[in-house]
Amino acid sequence: MMTQAHQTDAAGFRRSGTGRKVLSAEQKARLAAAQANASEAQRIEKARQKDREDREKAAQKSTSPTAMSSAVSDDAATADQVKVPHFDPKHPYQFPALMPSSADRAVRSFDPSDFATPSHSMDEWRYAPINDLQDFFSPFEASGTTQVTAAFEDGTQLAAQTPANKGTSSTPVTFSRLSSDQLAHSPAGTVGKPTDLPSALEWQASKHSGRFWWLNVTGDVTKPIIIRIHGTSNKLDAIHIVITLKPATSAQVILLHTGVASLAEGVEVDAGQASNLNVTSIQQWDDGSRHLGNQRLHVGQDAQVQHNVVSLSGKIIRLRMDPDFGGPQGFLNMLGIYFADPHAYMEHRTMVVHNHPGCKSRVIYKGALEGRGARSAWVGNALILPRAPKTDSYELNRNLVLSPGAIANSEPQLEIENGDIVGAGHASSVGRFDAEQLFYLESRGIPEVEARKLVVRGFFDELISQIGIESVQKNLMSVIDRRLAHGESAAMTEVLEDN
Amino acid sequence: MAQATAQHVSESHTFEIRNLRAGVETKRGFKEILKGVNLTIHTGEIHAIMGPNGSGKSTLAYTLTGHPKYEVESGQALLDGVDILKLKPYERARKGLFLSMQAPVEVPGVSMTNFMRTAVTEVQGHAPGLRQWVSEMSDAMKRLRIDPKFAQRSVNEGFSGGEKKRSEILQLELLKPKFAIFDEVDSGLDIDALRIVAEGINRAEKNDHFGALLVTHYTRILRYIHPDYVHVFADGHFVRTGGPELADELEETGYDRYLPQGKSESALA
Ligand SMILES: Nc1ncnc2c1ncn2[C@@H]1O[C@H](COP(=O)(O)OP(=O)(O)O)[C@@H](O)[C@H]1O
Ligand SMILES: [Mg+2]
Repeated sequence: MMTQAHQTDAAGFRRSGTGRKVLSAEQKARLAAAQANASEAQRIEKARQKDREDREKAAQKSTSPTAMSSAVSDDAATADQVKVPHFDPKHPYQFPALMPSSADRAVRSFDPSDFATPSHSMDEWRYAPINDLQDFFSPFEASGTTQVTAAFEDGTQLAAQTPANKGTSSTPVTFSRLSSDQLAHSPAGTVGKPTDLPSALEWQASKHSGRFWWLNVTGDVTKPIIIRIHGTSNKLDAIHIVITLKPATSAQVILLHTGVASLAEGVEVDAGQASNLNVTSIQQWDDGSRHLGNQRLHVGQDAQVQHNVVSLSGKIIRLRMDPDFGGPQGFLNMLGIYFADPHAYMEHRTMVVHNHPGCKSRVIYKGALEGRGARSAWVGNALILPRAPKTDSYELNRNLVLSPGAIANSEPQLEIENGDIVGAGHASSVGRFDAEQLFYLESRGIPEVEARKLVVRGFFDELISQIGIESVQKNLMSVIDRRLAHGESAAMTEVLEDN
Repeated sequence: MAQATAQHVSESHTFEIRNLRAGVETKRGFKEILKGVNLTIHTGEIHAIMGPNGSGKSTLAYTLTGHPKYEVESGQALLDGVDILKLKPYERARKGLFLSMQAPVEVPGVSMTNFMRTAVTEVQGHAPGLRQWVSEMSDAMKRLRIDPKFAQRSVNEGFSGGEKKRSEILQLELLKPKFAIFDEVDSGLDIDALRIVAEGINRAEKNDHFGALLVTHYTRILRYIHPDYVHVFADGHFVRTGGPELADELEETGYDRYLPQGKSESALA
């Protein structure tokens, strides 16, 4: 298993035996109980409201009418649809804050042999359809059938990195596939380490076949950059994308996944001090595609990273995000949207580690599931280490089950090892349409089917409008509109008959 | 007054509620809330419905507009002779029924302007011309002193109580119903907001000549909107009908005499 269990590694993960002060079990229990408290959800909504107000104030400094009551109506979660862990004094180890820190337990390694083979009895793999993923669990040779290209959103080309333009301000961004020579001198492999077997195998396969690409931002890049990842076959492939931002630079990057693929993907993002990055991973695969990914993010001191995930199609998508901080006052804003088809499986894991003081993280994931056999899982963890006082974090996941026979799993977790925090909380819900919302719209003359479409559209638009890149937002909404128009005849009527 | 303007109207409509009984399914079985409601309203008339809390006023409003929680046992609600109680909520809206809700619902991600335009399109049967639409909406918002940027905000989300009620009146002005039900449109409003809302209702009444059911707990709003009839609603049905003077009497005596023996409004509150 782990070979360096008694050190603090480069990514700053606490290892057992470092002698750092850790809260007593009693202190942890008290915090845990406070967290399980129902008022927590309210506090999150208030924080959310405050964020909204702050945004508004920033948008235009004129006097805005003060927003008052804004309790967002939550659908009651039905027992068989949602699995949210509750603090139970009889089973203290069920609640994450009472467990030994995941920083102590979690294996992080480039060596696949450090990881056990995934099985349903393992926490991280209990939702995934592992029978359909067996080929991702043993060493493989990358098929090389996935094309990786980058260009600005307007179609103009990005410069490749050459010894001449390296780091010059006239070329604020370069994009290159790395030769094995360049790889050794690149930042690849410096943002954390693989966190599960497929991501360790991905690293090995990418290394063996030279499947590394590096987007190097060394200045302010004003035009959005699109990295197109296009699959051309079902043969198992591996790619590894590295995105780095020098201090005080900025960029908007879109990872657009299309085509047919069986892809193991590693993404490393290193946002330097006071940099500003908006990165969006869009999964718009053709039918039958499988995609396992590990996105490791490092948010520098005073840096702002907005990380968006939009999963729209594919047979199996499992993305694990592992962000941490490189210094105080970093802000990580994670948004996620998933829209699972019949028989699709979409899993997203956001495992935020607060390892520096005064950092802020927001995780908001929303999903809709449409049709029999559609399944999703969201697992979010915020680990607040003893060395990260004044942390402000919350995570929220909402699921809208559009038709019977679809199952959404939602698992928010918190590991608070520091009592001196600004806030930490989570909220999660799985529900059907809100009858009051539908009635309100219908009472204005809008037929049921239209009302449902408006609600789903609004459910997504609320997040999509925050992605921050106009063309991306437009495209995504039109994809969703097409899905809704199409769904009207199939899944939507199913819902109507069912109710 | 309302009746004076009604004579200019070419169209006149009748809304007739007959022996309406309705209730809700609860864990302990069916609970009857409306126990035989009878009322006839004509175009241009304003009927104030006053009654103690819990007497079933909101239930009446929801049952007439088709809220799925409320189940009709018997009775009819005839709009120009056609029973609307079997229609879907949106069909009732298209027939000209409008409800200003006691607690308007938030619909995240759906902008006011999108929502309103969809609603007007559905009710009119065709989309309003864009230019005409924009000016009509912004004029109406100006009159109700609604900040223009509310058009881009999600329906009712983060609106204050007063903002929600003004947005209901905005919808009233744009949807131009034949009959409008106002469920406690005055609750939670300060005096300025109350005046704006009341002015909006009076203006819409003057322009569009609807018949109105003005459900209220307090007489305060009747200083601004003058009813032709005042009804007392208690324990699921009308117990008294009179002219505007009845409101003054209620102001004096309260609802205690309409409550079951031994109960009082203040005790319930
Ligand atoms: N959905 C419901 N489920 C159970 N009881 C209800 C429901 N709606 C109303 N009631 C009950 O019916 C009675 C009348 O309520 P309501 O119509 O809201 O009265 P009002 O508007 O006059 O205050 C109250 O006792 C209330 O508790
Ligand atoms: Mg009421």
